[in-house]
Amino acid sequence: MNPNILLIPILVPIIAGVLTFILPKSVKWGKEILALIATAITMYYAAVIFKAGGEGLRLFVPWTSFGINFDLWAYHFPRFILLAAAGFEILLALYTASFMEGKNRSKEYFAYFLLTAGLANGAILANNFVVMLFFWESLLATLYGMISVGNKEAFKTATKALVISGIADFAMILGIIFAWQLSGTLTMSEIHLEPMGLGAAAFVLMGLGAMAKAGAMPFHTWIPDAAIDAPLPFMAYLPAALEKLLGIYMLGRISLEMFTIHMNSTMSIFLMTIGAVTIVLAVMMALVQKDYKKLLSFHAISQVGYMILGIGTGVPAGIVGGLFHMLNHAMYKCTLFLTGGAVEKQAGTTELKKLGGLFKLMPITGVAFWVAAFAISGVPPFNGFVSKELVFHGAVETGIMIFPIAAWIGAIFTFASFLKLGHATYFGQQSPEMPNKAPKDPGLAMTVPMLVIALGCILFGVYSKLPLKYLIQPVLEGRAILEGHAGHMEFWTFHLNWIVWVSMACLVIAFLLHKYGVKKGQGQAYLASEPIHNLPVMHTLYDWAEARVFDIYEWFVNGLLKGAAWTVFKVVDRGIDAVYERLIVFVGGVATGVLKEYHNGLYANYLAWVVGGFALLVLYLAVLVK
Amino acid sequence: MLLLFIVIPLAMAALMPLVSRLWKGLPDILGTLTMAALLALSLSQIRLISAGHRILWDAAAIGLPLKAGLMLDGFSLLLLLTISLISLFACIYSINYMEHYGAKGSYYALFLLMVAGMNGLVLTVDLFNMYVFLEVAAVASYALVAFGQKHDEVEAAFKYLMLSVVATTGILLAMSFIYLMTGTMNFKELGLMVGTGMSLKLIGLCLALFLMGFGLKAAMVPFHAWLPDAHPSAPAPISAMLSGVLIKVSGIYALTRVVYDIFGLPASVSQAMIWLGVASMVIGALIALGQNDFKRMLAYSSISQIGYIVVGLGLGTPLGIMGALFHLFNHATFKSLLFLDAGATEYATGTRDLSKLGGVGHKMPITSLTTTIGTFSIAGIPPFNGFWSKLLIIVALVEANHVGVAAIAIATSILTLWYFLLMQRKAFFGKLAAGLEKVKEVPFYMALATFCLAALCLLVGLFYPWVTAKLIQPGMIALSNSIGANGFSMFGQ
Repeated sequence: MNPNILLIPILVPIIAGVLTFILPKSVKWGKEILALIATAITMYYAAVIFKAGGEGLRLFVPWTSFGINFDLWAYHFPRFILLAAAGFEILLALYTASFMEGKNRSKEYFAYFLLTAGLANGAILANNFVVMLFFWESLLATLYGMISVGNKEAFKTATKALVISGIADFAMILGIIFAWQLSGTLTMSEIHLEPMGLGAAAFVLMGLGAMAKAGAMPFHTWIPDAAIDAPLPFMAYLPAALEKLLGIYMLGRISLEMFTIHMNSTMSIFLMTIGAVTIVLAVMMALVQKDYKKLLSFHAISQVGYMILGIGTGVPAGIVGGLFHMLNHAMYKCTLFLTGGAVEKQAGTTELKKLGGLFKLMPITGVAFWVAAFAISGVPPFNGFVSKELVFHGAVETGIMIFPIAAWIGAIFTFASFLKLGHATYFGQQSPEMPNKAPKDPGLAMTVPMLVIALGCILFGVYSKLPLKYLIQPVLEGRAILEGHAGHMEFWTFHLNWIVWVSMACLVIAFLLHKYGVKKGQGQAYLASEPIHNLPVMHTLYDWAEARVFDIYEWFVNGLLKGAAWTVFKVVDRGIDAVYERLIVFVGGVATGVLKEYHNGLYANYLAWVVGGFALLVLYLAVLVK
Repeated sequence: MLLLFIVIPLAMAALMPLVSRLWKGLPDILGTLTMAALLALSLSQIRLISAGHRILWDAAAIGLPLKAGLMLDGFSLLLLLTISLISLFACIYSINYMEHYGAKGSYYALFLLMVAGMNGLVLTVDLFNMYVFLEVAAVASYALVAFGQKHDEVEAAFKYLMLSVVATTGILLAMSFIYLMTGTMNFKELGLMVGTGMSLKLIGLCLALFLMGFGLKAAMVPFHAWLPDAHPSAPAPISAMLSGVLIKVSGIYALTRVVYDIFGLPASVSQAMIWLGVASMVIGALIALGQNDFKRMLAYSSISQIGYIVVGLGLGTPLGIMGALFHLFNHATFKSLLFLDAGATEYATGTRDLSKLGGVGHKMPITSLTTTIGTFSIAGIPPFNGFWSKLLIIVALVEANHVGVAAIAIATSILTLWYFLLMQRKAFFGKLAAGLEKVKEVPFYMALATFCLAALCLLVGLFYPWVTAKLIQPGMIALSNSIGANGFSMFGQ
């Protein structure tokens, strides 16, 4: 097969995106048709590329010297991610077409949507760091554009997202530079390093960049803001689906291919700690949210923790679970955001207080929601159950019990918060404050994507052998990690052991917590999390979180940057100024009136700098150097 | 042939005050046509130069009793192209923008004089003519900074003049020392003679004088203080020319010619340039962050970006030179774009105080879009041109084992993104500021100029391999040759 077809999933959406930009406004449905055609072509070729099998297609064009080559390689891992990404792209295009209908700047949104699709496909296929960075960094620009299409506050959030992602990418670039220094190559598939010394720094920096893309703590703070400010399909598209795929895929490549992470090594503990902390903290924040979209956005952060924890275990079961969870999460979280969009469009609000009793009015949306909610909570037999159990198994196998315990705590509060969300939105009494009195299910363009992905959640749960055997497991084949585990590669066989019982117990605890909370809140489901919210220490912590005490971006903005700029201005600039001002006052008695008139202090100041700099140069060039 | 680059603008400059009396529109048309002709002329040289040839012209050959010559190599051509490209768009922009200043005849005369001076500077082959052309361009630029004739503008021009005098004194002093030691002013002859039987102390002093003088022209820290006053005071198209082109021609180009061609880039100068570059990069960016005046912020950012170029040239490795030359060209495109946008904002709203602006983005869609493109380019976000040149400089730094400097360069580029986004948020997004309800998009020619430059930022970024192969690499080879690096190929084996 001609390897040039690897260019199709990259170029077709990008060209369509550019065309969308210049499309005249008067062409009705133009952008929607363009988006659907482009994503359909992408989907078709992603499938063709996937089916090629074997070593996979590789496109290699010498570009410049210095090891910078245009190198795309679709071996098993990228082509599976490409297929998944293409699937989400086409479904989201369909949904967005309906959601954004008649909205301001929807043309711009579609253009960014398509550009994002092409660039993400490029980042997935790239096999040279420079090519990868080109696509990876370009995604920053479209991310900024997509968020900015939202409400009035969206520019602020877009800037925040851009700066946070920029810092994470900076870490990634530094890591790549270190890896390049150690290995002497920029070809990603040729890098095999040990995570020690500079290698450890390279691993940590690159890992941080990848995890930040997936939305792990502490790089997560823009996501809840975007949930409110950005257009909803954006949330389903990037933070829920594509960024998870990209970030975890990159983390997988780094920690499985470029480095090998052994069980309970320092790097393994590092990853698992980030994973565990992300799970617990984000789920605690999710639990007390009283807005549909914001609650989901915190879960989008929390679930990344499971993926990182799983990959970080360094145990086959954990890694397979982490990767499977990435795929599953993209599916159910996408569905959840899509139901959120349907509720927002039909009922006119996403505040839980103003919702209620929607199941009778919007049954299709309700069914899709509950399937996805059970999946994310790890209720059997949905897909989330399978991947979470694998992560639990992997974490237990490491022997450090704090990690599986953190994962179970996450499971309790995940289920509790979805019981609250589902209860408050779909059951109980319809709130009199609901802006739209008679909501009904949205049209086919919005319900079909929801149902298709929800159905996928069931299929991947019941027939988990299929995705595990054909998509996930080949990623591990031939890797050093499998040594000593050769006999245990049948991850789809179900073992009813104590780990499963603990998970089931977690679900029961969550259910009881919810019952108790609802009773305390006098039957108001949206208040179900208040007992936990009001616990003595928790309450203070929540207040701090609300005041953004834990938001590193706010620290960065208010503390570091302003401080540094202020210091340079006050100390360096003004300091020198003060010295010269005084010098001039001192010499001023001698200077004539005419000189004073022109030498208002500043010119002398400038001149003094010049003379000072010159003196240093003479000292260095003429005196010190022989 | 080469003489045309100097003669055409000089002759047109002389004609301008006359033709402006014939018909008011004539200076606009003639000015733009002249710049377009110069651009076409420099474009026509690309083929020959990128094939590795050099074009020489000697005054003696046509019977002139002068010891002067001109030479066009890859490095000069890159600068010639930059000058004519930016002047063309600045000229187009001036058609609308300079209406309210009046006196277009004198304006274009000075503009063309500046271009003639810069063209001469990049073509000349000896130190003395370099000095003459440097002064021609500088004198025209003093007058242009003061063109509005308000108090601030005259004061800024005066300060600029007074500090430039220090620079040119230093340069002249160094040139006389060199003449004293060698008896020649020609680059080629000097390159062969310098270092043989001369006082190393005196050579060190000359290098220090050159670094100070040209460093002041290029506005490197600590010789930068004049720029934030001078550049914002000039009319917007002139600000674009000064920040985009003049500091690079009379600062970077002249310095590079001298330290590379004459001295072969001694290790000590290389080190000093890296220090100066890092200081400019960081201090310029940090002060830019605190600015509330749109154009002043851009001026500080120029200091910071010049730092990148100086660091790359200071490295002296093929990749470093390549990155620096590419960044020089790119910075010319996006910084002049941003100055033109700042001018457009001021033109439409009457202020460039960022705290008084706000929310004009949807009233001025083209200006807002092109500013965003300029921002992304200067911050180094792909696929815009700034990404590639910064990447090359950073890769070159790592290659030369300056990992610390590379980290500073990356951190500075994040800082750059930061203060530009801050500017955008204040000026174009958010709530519409009071009193700006009637703001309209700028007139056609102004919008056209910014649009073309923005398109250029994107196209150069997309077709970067072609641009580097045709334009940047010949310049890099010309410079590498003078420090002894032999025939080095960037593309293919």
